[in-house]
Amino acid sequence: MNISAVSLELASLSLGLLTIILGLIFPSFRSKNTGGYLAIMGLISMLIGSLYLPASNTQTFINTFYVQDSLALFFKQLFIVVAIFVNAMSLRYLKPYTKNRGDYFALTFFALTGMMIMASAAEFITLYIGLELMTFTFVLLTTYKKQDLKSGEAGLKYLLLSAISSGVLLYGLSLIYGLTGKLDFSAISTVFSIGSVSPLLVWAIIMVLSGLGFKIALVPFHMWTPDVYEGAPTPITAFLAVGSKAAGFVAFIRVFFHVFAPFTSIFMPLLITLTVLTLLIGNLIALAQTHLKRFLAYSSIAHVGYILLGVIAYSKLGLSAILFYLMLYLFANIGAFAGVTALVINTGHDRISDLAGLWKCSPFLSVIFLISLLSLAGIPPTAGFIGKFYLFTEAIHQGYLWLAALALGLSLVAVYYYLMVIRTLLSGTSEETQPFIIPFSLRLVMIVSAAMTIGIGIWPGPFTDLALNIAQSFY
Amino acid sequence: MIILFYLFSAILLAFALGTVISTNLIHSALLMMGSFFAVAGLYLLLQADYLAMVQILVYVGAIAILLVFGVMLTRKGSIEESNLPNRYKTIGLVTALGLFGLLARSITYTRFPSPPLESPPQNIIAIAQAFLLQYIVAFEALGILLLIAILGAILIGKEPK
Amino acid sequence: MTQFLFNFLALLHITGIIADVIVILCYFVFILLFIIINVMFIVWLERRMSAFFQERLGPNRVGPFGLLQSVVDAVKLLGKEVIRPTATDKWVFLLAPAICFVPALLLYPILPFGKGLVLVNLNIGLLYFVAISSTTTISIIMAGWGSNNKYSLLGGMRTVAQMISYEIPLIFSMIGIIMLVGSLNLVDIVNAQARLWFIHVQPLAFMIFLIASIAELNRAPFDLPEAEQELVAGYHTEYSGMQFAFFYLAEYANLFSLSILGVTLFLGGYQGPFFPSWIWFIGKVYAMIMVYMWIRWTLPRIRMDKMMKLNWKFLIPLSLFNILATGFMIKAWPTIQQWMR
Repeated sequence: MNISAVSLELASLSLGLLTIILGLIFPSFRSKNTGGYLAIMGLISMLIGSLYLPASNTQTFINTFYVQDSLALFFKQLFIVVAIFVNAMSLRYLKPYTKNRGDYFALTFFALTGMMIMASAAEFITLYIGLELMTFTFVLLTTYKKQDLKSGEAGLKYLLLSAISSGVLLYGLSLIYGLTGKLDFSAISTVFSIGSVSPLLVWAIIMVLSGLGFKIALVPFHMWTPDVYEGAPTPITAFLAVGSKAAGFVAFIRVFFHVFAPFTSIFMPLLITLTVLTLLIGNLIALAQTHLKRFLAYSSIAHVGYILLGVIAYSKLGLSAILFYLMLYLFANIGAFAGVTALVINTGHDRISDLAGLWKCSPFLSVIFLISLLSLAGIPPTAGFIGKFYLFTEAIHQGYLWLAALALGLSLVAVYYYLMVIRTLLSGTSEETQPFIIPFSLRLVMIVSAAMTIGIGIWPGPFTDLALNIAQSFY
Repeated sequence: MIILFYLFSAILLAFALGTVISTNLIHSALLMMGSFFAVAGLYLLLQADYLAMVQILVYVGAIAILLVFGVMLTRKGSIEESNLPNRYKTIGLVTALGLFGLLARSITYTRFPSPPLESPPQNIIAIAQAFLLQYIVAFEALGILLLIAILGAILIGKEPK
Repeated sequence: MTQFLFNFLALLHITGIIADVIVILCYFVFILLFIIINVMFIVWLERRMSAFFQERLGPNRVGPFGLLQSVVDAVKLLGKEVIRPTATDKWVFLLAPAICFVPALLLYPILPFGKGLVLVNLNIGLLYFVAISSTTTISIIMAGWGSNNKYSLLGGMRTVAQMISYEIPLIFSMIGIIMLVGSLNLVDIVNAQARLWFIHVQPLAFMIFLIASIAELNRAPFDLPEAEQELVAGYHTEYSGMQFAFFYLAEYANLFSLSILGVTLFLGGYQGPFFPSWIWFIGKVYAMIMVYMWIRWTLPRIRMDKMMKLNWKFLIPLSLFNILATGFMIKAWPTIQQWMR
C-alpha cells in the first residue's frame, strides 16, 4: 500500500469534511467567507505539497487499479489550480445569492476529489465512480443560486442528461467486461491486443465515446452545455468549463490512447466525424450568441474540437499538444469568467451588450477581457496562438492536412466573433457611470491568469517541455 | 434452470412493458417493483445470492418505495392520466426497436470468452474482500458520494429563512 | 425431516420434480399452520395482557380462560361480507391484502426454531430476512393508495415513512453481531452464543433493536400509522371481512418473526441447559413478545415529528457509534487481554 499515491485525494477530502464539520459547529462559519479563505489556503498548500511528490516514476496504490503517474499528477495540479481560482472568484460573488456559503466551499473540494480520482483511475469502476462523484457535486453547485429559476433549471438538466449519459457509458463498460472479463486498463488492453474485432466491441467503443463525450461536450452530446453554463453560478461555470472538461479529457486520453489502442481503425473515423461536427457547430453557433456565458459555452465547445485534433494525431507530440493547450485554455477561460463575475457583481447582467463602454468604466477589466479573448481566439503574443500552432502542425504531420485546414478556417471565424465582443467592449457607450468595484481576490485571479496567458505566449519553453516530458512518460 | 431463466425474463419483460405503457404513475411504479423482483430472481439463477438480496433491499425496499412516496406527495391533477406518452411515441419506439435489433444481432454474432467461473460458496466474503482491498478507492468514493447526496438533499430541500 | 418426507414419497413411487413440489407444498402448509396457531394464541395473549394492565378481565367465555376466543373471531371474520368501495383503485386495492402476507410467510423457512430445526439453512440468512421484511411496505403503500381515502392515504404514508426510517437503525444494530460472528448464517450466529449471549456483549445494539423493531411493527408508542384518534384505522380503514383479517394476521406474524429474530441474535436462540432446544426457544420468544406487549400497554403515543427526530438524530448516530465501538473492540480486545494478564 502506498499512501503517497492518494495523498492529494486524502488532503482534499479531509479539507472538505473539515469545512462541513466547522460549519456545523460554528454557524458563523457558514454565513461568512471564512470557509473560502480556509479552502484557498488549503488548496495552495496542497499545490505546493504536490510539487514535492515524485513525478518521474509511476506509483500504484494497493494494486494497478489506481496509479499516480506524471499524467495523473499533472492533471491533479491543474485541477487544484482551477479550484483555487474558482474559490477566489466565489468569495464576493456568492454574497447576494445565499446565506450558506460554507457548504459551497466544501462541495468544491468534493468535486476536486472526484476529478482527481478520474485522473488516477486505471480501472473502469473507479473511473466511473470518480466521474459520478464529480457530476453529483456539480449538480448541487449548479443549483446553488436557489431562488434563481435558471439555476434550478440548469441543475435539473445537468442531472437528467448526465444520468442518461452515465447509463450509456455503463452499458458500454458492461459490454467491455463481457468481452474481456476484466476491468482494469492494462489487463483489458492485453486481452484486446491479441483478440479479434467483434461487432459488440464497436458498440462498446461507441457507447464509451458518447459517455465520455458528454463530459467534454463533444458535439452531438453538447446540448446541455449552453443551458447549464448560463444557469450555474459564474465561478461554477468556470469550474465546469475548465475542471470538468479537463477531467473528461484525462479519462478520454487514458481510454483511447491506452485501452482502445489496438482499435484505432475503428474509432478514428468516428472521432474525426465528431471533431468536424464539433468544430463547425461550436464556431458557427457562437456567432449568434448575445449572452456572454452562452457565448463562452459555444466557444468552449469549439475548443474541444481543437483539442481533439491532438487525439486524432494520436502521437506523442499530439498528446503533449493537448496537455499544453489545456494549460493555456485554463488561464484564458478563468480570465474570461473572472471578467464575467466582475461584470455580474457590478451590473447584475451578463449579456454581451452590457459590455458596451466598459473601457470607460473599468479599463482594468477591459484589458483582462482583451487578453483572455485574444488568447481564446489564438492571436499572438498570447498563449492561444502557440497552442493552436502546436495542435495544427502535429495534425498536419500525421497526415490530416484537410482537417487542420478546416480547423484553421474555422478559427478565423472564431477570431471574427471574439473581435466582435472586443469591439463592443472598446466602443459604445454605457449607462453605467460610476467606476467598477472589483474585489481584491477577483483582481488577483485576473492578474494571475492574464499574466500566465501572456507569459506562456512569450516564453512557452518550460511549459512545452513539461507537456512533452509527461507525454513521453505516458507513451 | 433454463426454464426458470425464461420464466423470470418473461416476468421481467411483462412488468417493464407494463411500467412504460401504464398511464397511471402509481401503477407504473408498482409494476417497476415487480420487474425489480424478477431481476433479483435472475441474479439468484447466476448464483449471485448476495446481489439478489441487495437488489430487493435497496431497489424494492427503498428506492421504489421512495419513488411512490414522492409521486404521492407531489402529484397534482388526475392520477389516471399522469404518465401519458408524449409526441415522440412512434420515433421512440422505432429507435428502441432498431437499437435492440442491432444489439441483439451483435450479441448473437459475438463469441464471448470462456464461461464464467463457478462462484465460490462463500461469495459474500469474496465480495467484501474485493470492496475493501482491490476496489477500496471506489468504495470510499461511493461513501463520499452518498454523503454529498444527503447534503444536497438538505441544501435543495431546505426553505431559505 | 426433509429426508423422511422424500423417503416416504419414494415408497409411493414419487420422485424427481413432483416430489420436490410436494415437499415444498408440505413446508408451505406447515408454516402456514404454525403461523396461524401462534398468531391466534398471541392475539389471545395480547387481549388478556391488556386487560391485566387495565385491571379488566379480558376474554374469558369461550373455552378455558377464553383461549378459543380468537378462533371464534376468525370464523366470524370469514363469514363477513367483503366490501370494495366504488372509488377505489380496483387491482391495487384487491391485491394489497394478499401481498401483505407474502413477506411474512417467506421469512419463516430460514429461522432456526431449535437444534437442527431449520427448514432452509441459508448462508446469507440475516440479509435475506432484512431484504424480505423491507418489502412489507409495498402492501401498506398499496392499501393506503388503493383505498382512495384520506385517512388511509395518510396512514399509509406515515407507515412507510416510519418503516423506512427505522429500518436503518434496525439493520445497523445487527451489524455489530455480524462483525463478531463473521457470518450471516443464523445458525452460526446462534452457535456463537453457546457461552455468552450477545445481549451481554452488545447491550446498546439490543436497546436499539428493541426500539426500532417496535417502530417497524407499528406498535405503541410508535403506532402513529393507526392512531385511532386521528386516522380512524390508518391504511386498513376501508378493508372488511377476510381482507382485514389478512392485515391483522400479517401484523402479528411480523411481531412473531421479529421476536424470533431478536431471540436468535441477542438471547442465544435455542441455546439453554436441561430442556430440549425448542422449549427454550418458544419460551424466549414468548418472553420477548410479552416485553413488546408490556411496552405497548404502558407507554403513551409519541408525536410524529418527535418520532422522526428520535430516529434520525438519536438512534442512527448511536447505532453508527455502536458499529465503530464494536470494530474498535474486535481489534483491541486481544491486546487488552494480553495486557491484563
